[in-house]
Amino acid sequence: FKLFCALCICPLGRYNDDFDDGEDIAEFDDNDFAEFEDVSEDPAVDVEKEPPPRAAPSSTPIEDDEDEATVENEDGQDEFEDADAQDQDMYSKYDNEEFEGYEKTNPSFKNTLIYREVPAHLQNSWESYYMEILMVTGLLAYIMNYIIGKNKNSRLAQAWFNSHRELLESNFALVGDDGTSKEATSTGKLNQENEHIYNLWCSGRVCCEGMLIQLKFLKRQDLLNVLARMMRPACDQVQVKVTLNDEDMDTFVFAVGSRKAMARLQKEMQDLSEFCGDKPKSGAKYGVPESLSILSEMGEVTDGVMDNKMVHYLTSHAEKIESIHFSDQFSGPKVMQEEGQPLKLPETKKTLLFTFNVPGMGNTSPKDMDSLLPLMNMVIYSIDKVRKLRLNREGKQKADRNRARVEENFLKQTHTQRQEAAQTRREEKKRAEKERIMNEEDPDRQRRLEEAAQRREQKKLEKKQMKMKQIKVKAM
Amino acid sequence: MTANNMADPRRPSKIFRYKPPNTETNPTLEDPTPDYMNLLGMVFSMCGLMLKLKWCAWIAVYCSFISFANSRSSEDTKQMMSSFMLSISAVVMSYLQNPQPMSPPW
Repeated sequence: FKLFCALCICPLGRYNDDFDDGEDIAEFDDNDFAEFEDVSEDPAVDVEKEPPPRAAPSSTPIEDDEDEATVENEDGQDEFEDADAQDQDMYSKYDNEEFEGYEKTNPSFKNTLIYREVPAHLQNSWESYYMEILMVTGLLAYIMNYIIGKNKNSRLAQAWFNSHRELLESNFALVGDDGTSKEATSTGKLNQENEHIYNLWCSGRVCCEGMLIQLKFLKRQDLLNVLARMMRPACDQVQVKVTLNDEDMDTFVFAVGSRKAMARLQKEMQDLSEFCGDKPKSGAKYGVPESLSILSEMGEVTDGVMDNKMVHYLTSHAEKIESIHFSDQFSGPKVMQEEGQPLKLPETKKTLLFTFNVPGMGNTSPKDMDSLLPLMNMVIYSIDKVRKLRLNREGKQKADRNRARVEENFLKQTHTQRQEAAQTRREEKKRAEKERIMNEEDPDRQRRLEEAAQRREQKKLEKKQMKMKQIKVKAM
Repeated sequence: MTANNMADPRRPSKIFRYKPPNTETNPTLEDPTPDYMNLLGMVFSMCGLMLKLKWCAWIAVYCSFISFANSRSSEDTKQMMSSFMLSISAVVMSYLQNPQPMSPPW
């Protein structure tokens, strides 16, 4: 170890610039170099090199002036020159005594020379930071994709609106509304909900309350989504939801669409699962392609909806149609039942729901939006048609019975829950009244309120008794 | 007059204003991605700060970017900015404490 220290110090000691290092090294024991001072000619501490012995004596006074050091150097040199002549003698003298076994240790000393690695962050190279560079590149790629995807979606939405604007403006008095402005004026533009969802509300037409069009594009702005879509292709969708007034539609539930979509909707949708219990029928029976299937409350409804024009629309655009759902009991997808939550039937609204797939399977161009125009024509046609479609007497009776049945089932299911809820409500009322009586300052009023409460209780009991008597009489 | 009415289906008198769908009653309509990513980003940035893990901090930055990309326009930008700033601070702090480059897991 001492030898190694000397090795390090010697090159440093030579250069007067490395003053600071020399000072650090001066911390080493003087005794370490005392050895070398005595043997002023310097034994070959390092058998390999000459300079180290020369520099060694200069290392001790290195903490002093530069001058002194240089002087010492020269002295060292002188000494060395002197020593040169007697080289052989000296070495031979030491070889025996002092360097016994030295040669043995020397090779091992060479082998145990450890090169310490300079920590990566002190190296002057960017290469060691390649992980960081990768990360930053990834982030930049994400940002680039965000901008490109956002722009693409925006262009697609605008293209859709441009091609449909005329049709919508000729059919609706209000085209475009975000609900925030005071006056009901057409904004004439799409309402951006997200970077991939655009809304358009149209209203002011016969036969319907309003129409909400949602352009549900793919999440092109999210790189993760883009990568996921490489595994599982998906397509942009246009969803049209027409809400109707009560007089605009008769009572029926009907759906037609791709087989997959129908199977899914029958499980998911509240009204389809309750009213259209049968498995979806193949569309081939009604003249539409095999790929479409039909869910219907009753045959009459299907016959009524599937007239020639509708069949023509469905046949020519079958690949673009995901689902078409007409319902007077529409309440959306089934809500997960929580404990004691659904005490009322979910609110229903007469609705026509259309879901269209944009052709291109993700690789859509703005031109593809024009191909959706006939589908919008179909929507308008459907609105008018549903207004005129009326069930005959039999059909109406059947429909009413169905609805009554569904309601009854629901009430049965929630019977116990409703009872409990009613009980708790009654108890709450009693407690509130009692509290009021207790809080009443005036003792007179208190007495009067108590009496009133008692009278009410009496009346209730009497009523109950009467009812029981009546039931008994009827039973008899 | 009647001919005009029959031809033109528009009825300015029958205009209904747009009402945004109530997402409280129908939670399935909402996309939970931005909220999850926001939360995940915060968790990762806290991990990165506390445990001095550089890769955690980087993942947090990614999460906050993803959350931003998926967010709705109606959402508060303050939330986004705060999660973004937190993740950036996690990265910066990790490197200030330990300037060594990140080592890959392999």
